[in-house]
Amino acid sequence: MRALRTAASGMAAQQLNVEVISNNIANMNTVGFKRQRAEFQDLLYQNVERMGAQSSSQGTVVPTGIQIGAGVKAGSVYRITEQGSPTQTGGRYDMAVDGRGYFQVVLPSGETAYTRAGNFSVNGEGQLVTDDGYAVEPSITIPQDAIDVTISKSGQVQVKTDGQTEPAIVGQLELASFFNEAGLEAVGDNLLMETAASGTANVGTPGEVGFGQILQGYTEASNVDAVSEISALIIAQRAYEMNSKVITTADQMLSVAGQVKS
Amino acid sequence: MENAAYVGLSRQMTLRRELDIVANNIANADTTGFKVEQLLVGTEVGERARNAFIRPGVSFVLDNGVGRDFGQGALGQTGRDLDFAIEGEGAFFKLTDGQGEAYTRDGAFTVDAEGRLMTEGGAAVQGDAGDIILDPALGEPSVAPDGTISQNGALVGRLAVVRFDSLAVLEKGGDGLYRNASNAAPAEAPDVRVRQGMLEGSNVNPILEITNLIEIQRAYESVTRMIENTTDLSRRAVERLGRA
Repeated sequence: MRALRTAASGMAAQQLNVEVISNNIANMNTVGFKRQRAEFQDLLYQNVERMGAQSSSQGTVVPTGIQIGAGVKAGSVYRITEQGSPTQTGGRYDMAVDGRGYFQVVLPSGETAYTRAGNFSVNGEGQLVTDDGYAVEPSITIPQDAIDVTISKSGQVQVKTDGQTEPAIVGQLELASFFNEAGLEAVGDNLLMETAASGTANVGTPGEVGFGQILQGYTEASNVDAVSEISALIIAQRAYEMNSKVITTADQMLSVAGQVKS
Repeated sequence: MENAAYVGLSRQMTLRRELDIVANNIANADTTGFKVEQLLVGTEVGERARNAFIRPGVSFVLDNGVGRDFGQGALGQTGRDLDFAIEGEGAFFKLTDGQGEAYTRDGAFTVDAEGRLMTEGGAAVQGDAGDIILDPALGEPSVAPDGTISQNGALVGRLAVVRFDSLAVLEKGGDGLYRNASNAAPAEAPDVRVRQGMLEGSNVNPILEITNLIEIQRAYESVTRMIENTTDLSRRAVERLGRA
């Protein structure tokens, strides 16, 4: 019976849906997290009776044909790169990107990763690093005697040292943008990697056309909306139940057919 | 005598097929742009199994097609710039892929590494003048209700939204795609609107489908009982007549 397999595909799809939703809810308070959405597509169709086929010797033609679908599959799980709201933290090295663009981070392997999580700090050498201690690219070192650090909207890092009236420029932050942001590969730790689908990184100064501005003292909250995730969860659960109901029905019909007295 | 059993059998076969279609509807209750289907069942006057003296016209059950309800699905906000929904029935986005032209109501598009607007399945979305290529440096595209795409004030193209005189020429190809199974050329659909940041949900009504499911199951059971009774009747007839 085809219906059994069709309903099983529906249950598998809803299970994936719940997995994606639960990951969104788990990351509701993750800095810079972008929510994901599972997108479903119908599976292939079997032509039981082709449309346009002749239905009698008099030349009558089947108008619509009989096509029976084989269920559903996950088309893709994509990231929704909608802006998360900036949250004030007061942290000196906390930065949020307001608009497009990713911070660049050098991994220990030498590869460049991209992130929206701007909760940076400085290491023992005064270098600007992420939570995991990976250096931010381009490298910015804050002098030890700095008493205040100001990061402008365009990403210029200025420090004020004791006895100096003019702040000194110690670096310029850069952002990377991509042709296809949804094509970036998430590798955990709030980091994303470039792929063939995303295209190569286009590096620029914050505030330029196509790049967002930097807000110091803020971090970008995750863009997960709890209410819509919970309602999506309810819908997924009910859809799962309905598919299991189809399996029960198909099973009962099979059993009726199997018990016919001869 | 066997006529009743054969009529019952013809109904059982169509009920199984109906179950397959209802199962597919329920499995796709959450599929973007999915259109609900229903098996069209009719009576077919057939030959009698035996040339006995009964009134002519034994009607069998025959499925003669699958009907699709192309009604509008609910539009849901997604907050993604490359999600598009068509508001208006019977119109489709035009695509091209390796197998030629395809049509879809699933407007969850993406761009490839060159900035070309694509479906998740890799078919290129068509505009008035071929593929639509976005310039990533210009920021988010904005799409007007008539399908005109602009980026930062500069015109990029217009999404081709088309419709067919008869929707019966469309064949479902899976992956949310429809293919044109005839020579009929699609025409432009100027009366429908394209909504950016929204997707069209499936137009499956789950309650209706569950009701159909119960109906199918009960009908199957009663037809089976009818066939059993018929066989029972003929067995008893043979027994009694044999004794005499």
